[in-house]
Amino acid sequence: MSTISIQSVSKCYQNGFEALKNVNTEIHSGSFTVVLGPSGAGKSTLLRLINGLETPTTGAVRIGGEAVEEHKLRHIRSRVAMVFQQFNLVDRLSVVTNVLTGRLAQRSWVGSVLYLFRGEDMAIAQRVLARVGLTDKAWSRADKLSGGQQQRVGIARALAQQPKVILADEPVASLDPVSSEEIMTLLREICDRDGITVVVNLHQVELAKRFADRVIGMNGGRVVFDGPPAELSQQTLRTIYQREGIEDDNSLDLALAYA
Amino acid sequence: MNVHDLNSARPQLPPKPRNPMPVWVAATLAMLWLIVWDLEISFETLAYGVEDMAEYFSRYRQPDFSDLSRYLELMGITLATALWGTVFALLVAFFLAPLAARNFAPNPLAYRIARETLNFMRAMPDLLLALIFVAALGLGPLPGALALGVHTTGFLGKFLAESLERVDKGVCEGVASTGADFPQMVMYAGWPSILREALGYVLYILDRNVRMASVLGLVGAGGIGLALHDTLRLFNYGQSAALILVILATILIIDYASAWLRGRLG
Amino acid sequence: MTTVSTWRWPTPNGLPPLPLVGGALALLAGLWLTAPVVEVDFVRLIGSLGKMAAFAGQMFVAPDWQYVPQLLDKMLETIEMTVLGTAIAVVLSLPMGILAARNATPHIVVYRLTRDMLSLMRALPELVWALVFVSAVGLGPLPGVMALAFVTVGFMGKFFAEAIEVVDPKAVEGVRAHGAGWLQVRLFAMLPQALPDFVGTVMYILDHNLRAAAILGLVGAGGIGYDLVMSMRLFQYERLLLIALSIYLVVTLLDRLSDQLRTRIIHGRRA
Repeated sequence: MSTISIQSVSKCYQNGFEALKNVNTEIHSGSFTVVLGPSGAGKSTLLRLINGLETPTTGAVRIGGEAVEEHKLRHIRSRVAMVFQQFNLVDRLSVVTNVLTGRLAQRSWVGSVLYLFRGEDMAIAQRVLARVGLTDKAWSRADKLSGGQQQRVGIARALAQQPKVILADEPVASLDPVSSEEIMTLLREICDRDGITVVVNLHQVELAKRFADRVIGMNGGRVVFDGPPAELSQQTLRTIYQREGIEDDNSLDLALAYA
Repeated sequence: MNVHDLNSARPQLPPKPRNPMPVWVAATLAMLWLIVWDLEISFETLAYGVEDMAEYFSRYRQPDFSDLSRYLELMGITLATALWGTVFALLVAFFLAPLAARNFAPNPLAYRIARETLNFMRAMPDLLLALIFVAALGLGPLPGALALGVHTTGFLGKFLAESLERVDKGVCEGVASTGADFPQMVMYAGWPSILREALGYVLYILDRNVRMASVLGLVGAGGIGLALHDTLRLFNYGQSAALILVILATILIIDYASAWLRGRLG
Repeated sequence: MTTVSTWRWPTPNGLPPLPLVGGALALLAGLWLTAPVVEVDFVRLIGSLGKMAAFAGQMFVAPDWQYVPQLLDKMLETIEMTVLGTAIAVVLSLPMGILAARNATPHIVVYRLTRDMLSLMRALPELVWALVFVSAVGLGPLPGVMALAFVTVGFMGKFFAEAIEVVDPKAVEGVRAHGAGWLQVRLFAMLPQALPDFVGTVMYILDHNLRAAAILGLVGAGGIGYDLVMSMRLFQYERLLLIALSIYLVVTLLDRLSDQLRTRIIHGRRA
């Protein structure tokens, strides 16, 4: 089981910014959840807490009943993969090596510091590369690829971990519409076929409506909406994208009219 | 804020900052004057030393290359010493630098210890170290190589740690998010990202070590420096000039070679 | 698992990349060939550990407090030599830097000549020049200062030329468009832009020069170095301890100071 449960989590950064204010939610195994909200709503912080890249100020995050804690990070991260907005690949390494980093948590450092991998890891890498359609780019350097291709390498790296959960932090924010479509389709397909729990941060309402099973709307560090995408009415979108201190927001109306 | 507010607020420039430049210049000049006075440097000596110096340097006019093969052999020893010192520094820095990089260090204690070790190695002048190693190991190039190695580990380690600290945070998180441990982080997120910079630093250290190795002989650590010391002591200007020329030529060749290599890598 | 795992590198053929293997082998061959020249002898090295420990043990003696006034005096002399040598070098390297910068030099021949001269000046360590200058002007801090300044000009002139070469040409054109003369362009358009880089470099050089100055006494060119060598030769460990500690202290202090100043300058420019 890999239900993610977030129990009264608050996160306050050192500069005093309160990114999350008492968030409570549960994300079920095998679901495709989109976290929607304006920039600064705390979406990224929420995802990063689940992977342990941030630690909550108060409250706890549990995955399949196991708390995300400092000394268990390696074990937890091996099952909770992460995909980033800026892809975060190692530029100078080849695509295959980048994908193989997904296997590191399974192997001791002894061989891996020499870049030695087992045959079966290599087989996994080949399989996931075929899955994301990048077999022919396997030996290229990661920074020689286009943005959409790099993001697919990022997903391949996540898949190589053979995870229970994939967290995608704004995976399409730096991509053109066609690549965005490809990436979202790929993530949806991974969720459906492998039963991997997928949590995606987005700010595009339209993509959320089309791909999600469930949408969590956030604003100002709080969950302001939680439900299936069909329930996303103009009114709920207004609450999600509301800006603080602005009663009559013309830009908001305009933006939502085209969403 | 509405339009009215904007109009009523007078555009007021912040007070003009005072320019402290003249004060600094005056203070520096005063300090330099004090130093000259304290060191008892008399410019008269210098002025009429110029004539003496011209005469003195003219004694170096005829380099005596009769012993060239021995000089080249000594230069070879010097180069080998520098190579071993550099490899030593590279090996130790390879392990110490990640510990001394804030974003990679597994815990604050390891970071502090590694930093302080590097600082200590850097603070010990290599000739002082050479003196110590000669006392312990006896004469010869080995103590020289060790001294160079220890001293430049401090430099190389600091440079590499600073490069590692500049590695993109995203790349580190990308590798960390897969559950990689400390050695894996260093090998996958760290070194590959700074490879080019690191090579530049190693070449710089090699270059520096060749220069320093050529004077280590002064403290009995072998190489061409010892020969230079002896010939200067014996006022054998011809041979001294030849030795200086051999050292100069070698260093210039290495200078050009490393510039070429850096250009190819860049 | 029933499969026998095979190990391989992430390359098409599973072997490490050829240039890497070649480079590593060349380095190993180089080390192996030069080992006898450097007299690398691990047995001797390990055998000497005892001597090293004994040496270190001898350092743990009651320091000779009577020596402190003289130590302070010599240390001050060392610092003074460093500052003076560096200051002279700054003044000299400004014009040298302009002549050696591709975009500021009056003529390409001057550029080449200055560059070569600078690299000759920095080719040999201070100690060699100190040796030569001591023979020329006699013992004392003067030859030390001369040697420091001489080598420093070689380094600083080069750094400064490089800082001028990356100056934004637009600002230079702007000043030139207002009818500024040759020297004015260099003084008012190029120097101010290159200055922040230059200050960072000066801190590096001060650092380097302090270490160098600490050992110049070895050849009689003033500073703490003479006492250092003498206390070593005469086995006066109660003095040696104090000298080594004070060198470490001063170098570390300057190191911290220059680190802080450099980050301030760099961040100040970014802000």
